[in-house]
Amino acid sequence: MERNWYLRVALIVGVLVFSVYQLVPSWFYFRLPPEQRSGEKFEQSVPSWAPSARKHLNLGLDLQGGILLAMGVDVDRAMKAKVARRADEIADFLREKKIPVEASAPTSDGTRIAVKTSDPRKVESIVLDQYGTELSSPSGAPQGTVYFAFKTNVLRDFQAKAVDQAEKTIRNRVDKWGVTEPDIKRKGNNQIQIQLPGFKDPEKAKELLGRTAQLEFKITDDESTALDGVRGQLPACPADQGMIRTPLPDTGCWSVEGVELPGGAARQVTFIAANTRPQLDAAVEKVAKPLLQPGQEIGVGESTVGAGVVKEHFYRTYLLHAKTELTGDYISDARAAMDNSQGAGRPVVVFTMTPEGGRLMEKLTTQNLGRRMATVLDGKVETAPYIQGKISTNGQITLGSNRPYQQMFEEANEIALVLKAGALPAPVTIFEERTVGATLGPELIRKGTTAALIGLMLVVAFMILYYRATGLIADLALVLNALLVLAIMSIIGSTLTLPGIAGFVLTLGMAVDANVLINERIREELRAGRTVRQAVEQGYDKVFWTIVDSHVTTLVAGVVLMQYGSGPVRGFAVTLIIGLVASMFTSIVVTRAFMDFFTRRDTARLSV
Amino acid sequence: MKFKTFDIIPHNTKFDFVGKRHIAVTLSLIANAAVILWAVFHGLNFGVDFAGGTEMEVKFQQAVDPAAIRKGVEDLGFKDASVQTYGADSEHTYLIRVGRVALMSQEDVNRVVQAVEAKFPVQGTPHFNPDVGDKIDFQFQGTPPTPEQLKAAVESTGARVREVREEAGLTAGTRSFAVITQGIQDKIERELSSRFSEAKPDVRRVEYVGPAVGRELRNQGFKAILYAMALIVVYVGLRFDFRFSPGVIIALIHDAIITLGYFAFSGREFNLTSVAVILTVVGYSVNDTVVVYDRIRENAAKFKGKRLGDLVNESINEVLGRTFLTSFATALSLIGLLVYGVGTIFDFSAAMMLGIISGTYSTWFIAAPMTIWLEERAAKKGAPARAEREPARAVR
Repeated sequence: MERNWYLRVALIVGVLVFSVYQLVPSWFYFRLPPEQRSGEKFEQSVPSWAPSARKHLNLGLDLQGGILLAMGVDVDRAMKAKVARRADEIADFLREKKIPVEASAPTSDGTRIAVKTSDPRKVESIVLDQYGTELSSPSGAPQGTVYFAFKTNVLRDFQAKAVDQAEKTIRNRVDKWGVTEPDIKRKGNNQIQIQLPGFKDPEKAKELLGRTAQLEFKITDDESTALDGVRGQLPACPADQGMIRTPLPDTGCWSVEGVELPGGAARQVTFIAANTRPQLDAAVEKVAKPLLQPGQEIGVGESTVGAGVVKEHFYRTYLLHAKTELTGDYISDARAAMDNSQGAGRPVVVFTMTPEGGRLMEKLTTQNLGRRMATVLDGKVETAPYIQGKISTNGQITLGSNRPYQQMFEEANEIALVLKAGALPAPVTIFEERTVGATLGPELIRKGTTAALIGLMLVVAFMILYYRATGLIADLALVLNALLVLAIMSIIGSTLTLPGIAGFVLTLGMAVDANVLINERIREELRAGRTVRQAVEQGYDKVFWTIVDSHVTTLVAGVVLMQYGSGPVRGFAVTLIIGLVASMFTSIVVTRAFMDFFTRRDTARLSV
Repeated sequence: MKFKTFDIIPHNTKFDFVGKRHIAVTLSLIANAAVILWAVFHGLNFGVDFAGGTEMEVKFQQAVDPAAIRKGVEDLGFKDASVQTYGADSEHTYLIRVGRVALMSQEDVNRVVQAVEAKFPVQGTPHFNPDVGDKIDFQFQGTPPTPEQLKAAVESTGARVREVREEAGLTAGTRSFAVITQGIQDKIERELSSRFSEAKPDVRRVEYVGPAVGRELRNQGFKAILYAMALIVVYVGLRFDFRFSPGVIIALIHDAIITLGYFAFSGREFNLTSVAVILTVVGYSVNDTVVVYDRIRENAAKFKGKRLGDLVNESINEVLGRTFLTSFATALSLIGLLVYGVGTIFDFSAAMMLGIISGTYSTWFIAAPMTIWLEERAAKKGAPARAEREPARAVR
């Protein structure tokens, strides 16, 4: 045999071993009863020489039960809120400028601001002077009134921000529940799709996800030693040169951070940290709650160690004064900006309070100068900057330095989003809901696998009966094809859905098409009087492009379908695409290697 | 060497496909027209994916009369309810579909708003989104009601409140409440549990799609099919010859419509999976066409100067066995799904099967003969048929 043949056989054996190796975690995954699959039990059961336990075949929502929700941001209502806020702001602004205003309120449809005044022309010019980048003044207002409306680009930007906000809120909440492998992603312009596998209570999910986010400001209690008591009850966090090193113990652990106190003093404050939100909540409940003094509470926030790609997340506590000092209602706007006051530009968050909020903020910041103020969104501490000076209507949050510039800017954007979430609630509503009960999945899996096996058996039997030895070779290639498809699906972490099983079966049927074409061509060449070796050579060469063409056309349909579909249908498209690509390899390269081996002598006979 | 094979389709057929094209085209036109007319006048049975609405799969422990289920659902005020048996009869599983997603109509909402306005200082117009439908937002100034008071006021109109939720006000100093009324799913589930308590209904699956989303999905699905067809036609045109394109387009449209016919005439639900079937049929049915075109190209190079009609006929006959067998093998793989698949998967495999058959038929009778037809028309107009001057070019 030529050297080239040995290379091909090595490749085929390599692919076979690789596929089987990649399917090891999936094998252990499906051997466990469903309720243990997503726990430590599974990770422990996978042998250490196998690929990462995360790379296993996943069952889609339709097969394992769970909830899919598409939540849309009620942009309409968020818009009305924005218009109403701006109307109040304009009223205050005009009063400050001593311009007579009777009223500044949203019109009845909520899309415009109507300012009633005795001097419309003056009002129009002075308001546009101040807010001209965002507002325009549409005509059609009655006598003695000026209309203002937001410009289209402002609205578009606002809509996008509102969806960002809603997505953030939803992520926070799902995080808090500890659902295993939730999938949250954007869909279209204004929808967020949430998949909660195994989650059983749709009413609860809808209720919790549908609630508008609450933003609160609280002062941290860094003088208190209440939390020092946890040191006896929890292990100390593993640390590396003073930085926390993940993963942390499952029970949670304690660590300290240095904080500054008003008046220049400093002390080490104890906090609790854990890998996940549910783990931390459990630790707080068990060891921290009993230690609290009246008027204190524990806030939970997320923190990172490292930078760039190796960033690891963990959750940590803050000791807070329980009293809510201010709520997000009093913020009118927030954005990330550059502070160039100290030479080099530095990302900061700039926010504006409503007039009443400004008065409250002034009082709060004067009293707590030098302390930290925690912004708590939905019960999660997002950031806790020091109060460095008196703030009234306009404030600025400076970020801690010594991080890459890009990261700081992202952080500033993130905080601005949080503040805005308080300022302008973006209520979400449910556009689409699909719930699959736990009883349905196992039945579908059973029926689906039976159906797939029957289909496979029929195809295998047909090939052997019709093409004999050559059919058997095609069948061997088909089995390798099936293994390869499943292995690729495990590697890319795609999910197996019911239509996906149908797609899998279908691609097996399509995979032998190539061998039918090859074998028919070989028959034709033999009939024309060629030797077996020539016929095999001609057979493969002449139909090669036909096979490529027919695969490509089906692939085109598959790719278009993947762009279009979501959920189960997308699962079908993905399986179809993987199956077609794998079949090009198995039905051409693999069968050819076998055929070359059997027809290596000129006198070889072939049953085709 | 003597060589013998067992062939399902004999390998030396001389069937005149090109000559029979008039009959075939007439038959196809009738079939296609029938599907289109049926779809337009009778309509397709759009599932909730496309029509919007609520669909529930309910399994009972014992046999229940579907008419009784429908009556129960209709008594709740859903005149358009449909109840279908799902899967085998022994499973006692039914699919209940209601066209609406919200219990509240605009009139109901107006009644609720009036009742609340009469008692409490409502600011502005309460916000109601008909796409979602179970939620009304109220904004109050002055002294707002407590959630309990608000709930009582809304329920005094006969609506059932599931939850009153406090939300951040639109402007500082005001209070806002979202009143969430009972949803369809909840209402039907309660009704079924009380009506058929001994049959222990178990809601196994609920799908709920807002009307706006449904419309969007429908448009996108239609577009996806068109895009796929266009891309395939361009690919075939580039790989072979753009003279072949019209034949491919017509065959593709033919197969898509015939597949659609399954859903139109059987009255089975047309949903996202149905679009997936049509797309797959569109992608797969070209395979046979590619095989035939490849052979036409090969023969055109071999027998220069031969009439295109004979060339096409000969080519189809030469590869008749394989175009049949490839489709046969793929169809075989679907048999398990036809036997064991329930609901959507059964429809998937049945429609796919029909599409595969149509794809093979259209290759033999539509796609290849159509190429000649266009060639002949060009010839009649006076332009010399290109095929006779230069055989279809080989791209390789």
